[in-house]
Amino acid sequence: MAGKTIPIESDPNTEVACRDVGGEERSLLRRVVDQFADHCRARSLFVLHYCTGCGAIELPPSITARFDLERMGIQPMATPRQADILLITGYLAVKTLKRVILTYEQMPGPKYVVGFGSCTINGGMYWHSYATIKQLGNYIPVELYIAGCMPRPEAIQQMFLELMARIDRGEARAWEDYYRRYDAYLAQQQSLFGTRWEGPTDVVAEARRYGLLEHQTLGPHTAHLERYAPYHRELGVPLADKRGSGSLV
Amino acid sequence: MTAEQVPTPVDEVLSQLPGLEISRVSGSRVKLRVPGQRLPGLLALLKGQAGYLHLSAISCVDWPQTDEFELVYHVWSYETKVMVSAHVRIPREPGRYVSVYDLFIPAGYFERDIHEMFGVEFEGAPDLRPFVLTEWHGPPPMLKSFSSIDYVEEQYDWRDYRPDWLADVEQRGGGIEET
Repeated sequence: MAGKTIPIESDPNTEVACRDVGGEERSLLRRVVDQFADHCRARSLFVLHYCTGCGAIELPPSITARFDLERMGIQPMATPRQADILLITGYLAVKTLKRVILTYEQMPGPKYVVGFGSCTINGGMYWHSYATIKQLGNYIPVELYIAGCMPRPEAIQQMFLELMARIDRGEARAWEDYYRRYDAYLAQQQSLFGTRWEGPTDVVAEARRYGLLEHQTLGPHTAHLERYAPYHRELGVPLADKRGSGSLV
Repeated sequence: MTAEQVPTPVDEVLSQLPGLEISRVSGSRVKLRVPGQRLPGLLALLKGQAGYLHLSAISCVDWPQTDEFELVYHVWSYETKVMVSAHVRIPREPGRYVSVYDLFIPAGYFERDIHEMFGVEFEGAPDLRPFVLTEWHGPPPMLKSFSSIDYVEEQYDWRDYRPDWLADVEQRGGGIEET
């Protein structure tokens, strides 16, 4: 995790902080270790492919003998809790998006979302459909997109190489944005699902765990989660009005 | 009397009901126009006398020109191997019809679906709660009066896409046609 700022004092009151991170851990040695970890991580990626609509023709050749991504350390994985990459292949209906967010939030960081095909970029050929979302990046942070309808297996391979290079360089950090600006992502989710929407994961607690809790993490939209976890009172963030400002943004 | 002229069980049933407009689409398909009040009786007769146990689907068509909904009941008999499609037209206002759940239990799901997508009320249907749409607050989306594009423009925003090659094309007088 090269370049990551580890907070000098972690919050002793939170049950999710495992240990105190001392100043010496931010030393040069630590950064070398982080870089080495990134280097290794880039060569062992588990992919959870969420085939929402397409990609069932293009992915098997990428994974199996024809192009054999396993020689680069990339392997399909069955569960989100053991996966590094969430591959969203194709269009997302509003209903599917809900499941994707639940899946995404179960993945441990660092995690990388790849939007696959035109539909995740700007709606694709479903641009005028009332039932599908247009920009995946509004709802969860996307590391890379592959344009095309459909992208060829070569494009998938190119994407994985690019992703590996980025992870190796310590640049693939779009996932941190979800914690840093959780309120904005939640706002978009609430505009579709209503203000009673909640995931199974305590994202704010995770943000504290990763040291990514910033002033945009909490806001008027996370205030709707107040009944599940009272962070606003604890952390002194002012509560929004309860009239349901869910359709903001 | 040749074999082709022998009345089939379907014909026998159909001859018992007045007011039907019958057209044979092919040897295995019969299309009927049925007055609204005759449809439950017709389905009961078909089920009881010609082995029409299987309701394949109920579909709905919105006709804005005549302000009507057209409900199409597709029933299939494993005995006669003839598909009967019964077309009923009901006025859009108030858009109410009777449920055939008591004849065919699967009708419950079809009616629930049509209620959600077209807003048709089925009297006697066991369950007309929202079905497949997720947190839907708009009008029934399959109505012809529903503008999907307007809804999309309101609900979602678009990513700006101005690549360099498009600027080149526009300089040469081309471009993307905005409708």
